[in-house]
Amino acid sequence: MTRNTQLNDRRTVLKTLGGAGIVSLAGCLGGGSDDDNGNGNGNGDPDDQDRSEQLPSATIALNDDPTRDDWNLYGGVTPYWTNILEPLVWVSTDMELEPWLATDWEQVEDTVWEFSLREGVTFHNGEEMTADDVVFSFEGILEEWAWAPGWIHVESGDIVALDDYTVEFTTTDPFPTFPGTIAHNMVAIQHPDRDHESGTVIGTGPFQVDEIEKQQEVRTTAFEDYWNDEPVLEELTFRVIEDPNTRTLALENREIDLALAPPRTRVSSIEDDDSLYLERQNRPGAGYVGINLYKSPTDDADLRRALNHAVSQETIVETILEGVGEPARGPISPVIYWSAHDDIDGYEKDDDRASDLVSDSSYDGQELSILVANDMVDGREMAQVVQGAIDGIGVNSEIQALERAAYSEAVRNGEAHLILKESGSNSGDADYIIYEGFHSEGDVNQRLYGEDGTGLHNLGGEVDELIEQGFQTGDEEEKASAYKEAQQHIADQAVTIPLYYSEYIAAAHANIDGAELGAIPQFSRWTNLEHWE
Amino acid sequence: MWKFVLRRSVTSLFVLFGVSVLTFLMVFFTPGDPAETILRQQMGGRTPPDAAIEQFRIEQGLNDPILVQYGDWVANILQGDLGQSYHNDASVVQLIFENLWPTFELALAGLFVALVIAVPTGVISAVHKGGRLDYGSQLAALLGLSMPNFWLGYLLMLVFAIQLGVLPTSGYGTADQLVLPAITLGTGMAAIVTRLLRSSMLEVLDEEYIRTARSKGLRERIVVYKHALRNALIPVITIVGLQFGYLLNGAVIIEMVFQRPGLGRLLIDSIFARDYPIVQGLVLVIAVFFVVTNFLVDVTYRYVDPRISFEGASK
Repeated sequence: MTRNTQLNDRRTVLKTLGGAGIVSLAGCLGGGSDDDNGNGNGNGDPDDQDRSEQLPSATIALNDDPTRDDWNLYGGVTPYWTNILEPLVWVSTDMELEPWLATDWEQVEDTVWEFSLREGVTFHNGEEMTADDVVFSFEGILEEWAWAPGWIHVESGDIVALDDYTVEFTTTDPFPTFPGTIAHNMVAIQHPDRDHESGTVIGTGPFQVDEIEKQQEVRTTAFEDYWNDEPVLEELTFRVIEDPNTRTLALENREIDLALAPPRTRVSSIEDDDSLYLERQNRPGAGYVGINLYKSPTDDADLRRALNHAVSQETIVETILEGVGEPARGPISPVIYWSAHDDIDGYEKDDDRASDLVSDSSYDGQELSILVANDMVDGREMAQVVQGAIDGIGVNSEIQALERAAYSEAVRNGEAHLILKESGSNSGDADYIIYEGFHSEGDVNQRLYGEDGTGLHNLGGEVDELIEQGFQTGDEEEKASAYKEAQQHIADQAVTIPLYYSEYIAAAHANIDGAELGAIPQFSRWTNLEHWE
Repeated sequence: MWKFVLRRSVTSLFVLFGVSVLTFLMVFFTPGDPAETILRQQMGGRTPPDAAIEQFRIEQGLNDPILVQYGDWVANILQGDLGQSYHNDASVVQLIFENLWPTFELALAGLFVALVIAVPTGVISAVHKGGRLDYGSQLAALLGLSMPNFWLGYLLMLVFAIQLGVLPTSGYGTADQLVLPAITLGTGMAAIVTRLLRSSMLEVLDEEYIRTARSKGLRERIVVYKHALRNALIPVITIVGLQFGYLLNGAVIIEMVFQRPGLGRLLIDSIFARDYPIVQGLVLVIAVFFVVTNFLVDVTYRYVDPRISFEGASK
């Protein structure tokens, strides 16, 4: 409603101003994407005068195929992006957990969680959602994916319907981040009658499946009995266009109305095009170089600090990322409330200081290896910038670009000195970013830690304890304090070279309004999407 | 002729056996544990628990010795079963079947475009050897060969979709969505065929019987198109046959750029996803396709040029 009012006001003002000339002038003065209306539609003003009528449908191009067989569990459509299926817990743009199909949750014992369900939620087939459907949905996930029990810390049989609107989960161990972990699109609630053979998807979302065309598109219609704000659009189509350039060309050709994740190289041309605009949203992700703490010569903290002083984050963001993202001071995005970004004194670009530190270190001209996955967007270019920067302070290096699976293997074997990485969270629980990256038992570190007590980016000892403390507490302040201290150690010991904080972008036509990109992009909402004539 | 067919069949079987062993070994020695890669992908990049990795390895037989794995695979193939996708248990045969037609359709359309461009251009180029038309067509052929498929694809989208607004940029299902991919795919092949047909025509036009035909007062058009072209087409058929197989290759990029389903996409996606059963099955199917195409090309020879005997061809 607010959005509508805003729009109407804007139209009235523009009409009062009158005359296309004045409007165009305002548009020119408005310039870039920093808009005048608060919803990202900065260049669309000239069109406003024509916005007398709303169109009933729109098409969004996704960069991922929502009809892959991986989603047979849900009837053949991904629970990501499409607003067809919904989880119990939602994630806001500030990465806060929001009641969704569950109105409330409580940790009644160390390992027991009770979730109260929203009453009066209707499935697309007209039946009411009850606790049995929630049990069914979770059991389906546990059965479908062998890793699911380890992920949500719940095993089959440990989900019980206490009554029609209360579900009890018993976790395998005390797991304070359980609600955040299931605040994930993949953990969607569905009706047992869903059937992937016939493409029958039955969720509770604002849009219901009309037709699935495999590898091409999913056509949906608004669900009239939706429990929350009813969609503005009557029909919404999700088209699959995986190639980013083709996606942008399709947008320019008006085959689609909104394109997710256009290539960064097109950002300036989209911003210069009056008929298009760019929507931006900070994500809980960051790009950084992880430094191998257990391989000579990067086991020397002075050398690691020198490398940090050599790299300019601003250059990377401005040149390679085309301004999509923010220069980073730590490996945890400030979108996450316990990020220590504001408390860390970053390593300013200072080649003289860096050279001094190299001299102080044990570095004797060895060649450092920089590892990058070849599917990381602009990864190779970023590796080259890092290489150039450290070359400037007299440190030799070579870049090794590997295909993703080979890259993962090389990382876990500790084969490289410097590893280009991108971290991020797809769920409301972002704790795992710090755990998997920097705890000795986490992700990349665990293999080498288990085999010979070393690791990669794990300082061990106190940092492990702080991460565990933060992970186990349910108290937000205590968590933030423990994690901040851990991040301070990580910064002091120059475990990483932070590069950028991630930003998510989408490009749309000026006559599209109301896209609400989520901090976790898959949690974007399309109910307020409006399409003007 | 049957002797020839039998011999070729036996050698083909050896070829396929070799392909199966090589594919299996290549996949086996590619770095990256499929169990971990697949589970990691399913988990959106997170680390799968060790127990889940182990369970996956056991379920998929990945802990068995390689000879046992290979033996099981071959035994299943002989029963018409190429296995299941690691990701979702979808049958490989069914996946290939589903994606076969879109690729075949694209390859056929690409071939059509190639021949429509190449045959007249090649002939004109040969007939006007050394003239402007010849240089023009040779230059065009060089351009066609040099342009990367994806680049040409974007270029065509810019012109026909964005500037002229007559065709869609991408998608699959309607005839107009096939035009740009077919032109993109056909251009590279057209260039090869044009050059080949030109040299082949030049050779034929130099032969005795052409001179005889001309001296008999036949019209040049008849000489060129009826007498010369027919013989000049023989080497072209070979290349077209082999290139048809390579069209599948080109289809990988085209399918990505134009968002079309097909075998190329399936193969690339499966390689990146470490979905070995699909990769192995698909490579085998493509190998069969190549072997059969070669075989058919050899047989077609016989009918186009009676001078080629099956006995000679099989020696």
